[in-house]
Amino acid sequence: MENGRIAVPSAEKGGLDGTRSGHFGHCDVFTFIDVENGSIKEVSTIPNQSHVQGGCMVPVNLLAEHKVNALIVGGIGMRPLMGFKQAGIDVYHDSERPEIKPVVEDLIAGKLSQITDNQVCGGGGGGMNLA
Amino acid sequence: MTFALIVSSDKYSLLELAKTLEKNDVDITWAESSSDALSMTSNTMFDLIIADEFLENMTGLEFIKKIVPVNPMLNCAVVSSLSQGDFHEASEGLGILMQLPVQLKEKDADELLQRLKTILNLTHKTGAVEK
Repeated sequence: MENGRIAVPSAEKGGLDGTRSGHFGHCDVFTFIDVENGSIKEVSTIPNQSHVQGGCMVPVNLLAEHKVNALIVGGIGMRPLMGFKQAGIDVYHDSERPEIKPVVEDLIAGKLSQITDNQVCGGGGGGMNLA
Repeated sequence: MTFALIVSSDKYSLLELAKTLEKNDVDITWAESSSDALSMTSNTMFDLIIADEFLENMTGLEFIKKIVPVNPMLNCAVVSSLSQGDFHEASEGLGILMQLPVQLKEKDADELLQRLKTILNLTHKTGAVEK
C-alpha cells in the first residue's frame, strides 16, 4: 500500500505497539494507521461503538465515515465482509499474530492477503487464535 | 417511518406481527416467495426483512444466506424453531437481528422493534429510498 488509511481492531488502548482484538465487532478501539508514500505517517485510535446483536454494519459505517481504505482482521462474518466490500474497504486477513505492528508492516509491503469469502466465520470457514 | 418486508407464503402466520409493527409506524410490504423478495429488495431499500421459517423452496434461514451477500445493509429477522444454540451455529456471521419463535407473541414484536430502533440509531438511519 502506497497511500491510505489502515484500520486494525485493537484491544485496550490500541496503537501501533498494541495488540489486536480477536473479534472486530467487539474490539475496544480501532487503531488507524495513515500511510503516505509507503511509510507510516500517523497513528491514531477511535473507540468502537457498542456492539448489539445484528449490529454488524455499525463498524462498517464507522470505518467508512473515517475514510478507512483497508482493514486487517483475524476473523469476520459474511455480512460485515460484504458490507465492507460495498463500502469500498479492502479486508485483509491474519489469524495468527496478535501484534498490530507486524501485520501493518506486512500489509504496507504487500505481503498480506485479502480475506476470501470461504474464510469467513460461520459456514465452516474462518476462526482465529488472537486474544 | 420504518420500512419492513415480510417474506411468507402463509400470510396468516405473521399477520399479528405485521399488525403490531404497523401500529408502531412500520410500513409493511409482503412478498410471497423468496424470488419476489429478492426482486423487491433490488429496487427498494428496506430497513428490515422478516423471513418465515419455511418458504416455497427453501427455509427462511437459507433465504437470509442468499440475501445477505447482495444486500448486507439489510437488517434481518427470521422465524426459526431451532434451539438458541443451533440457531447461533446455523446463522453465524449473518448478523441476524433476532430469531423469532414460531408462536409469535406481542412481546416478540416489541423486542424486535426495540432492537431495530437501536440498530437504526447506531447506523444513522436516513430513511428508506428507492435505489
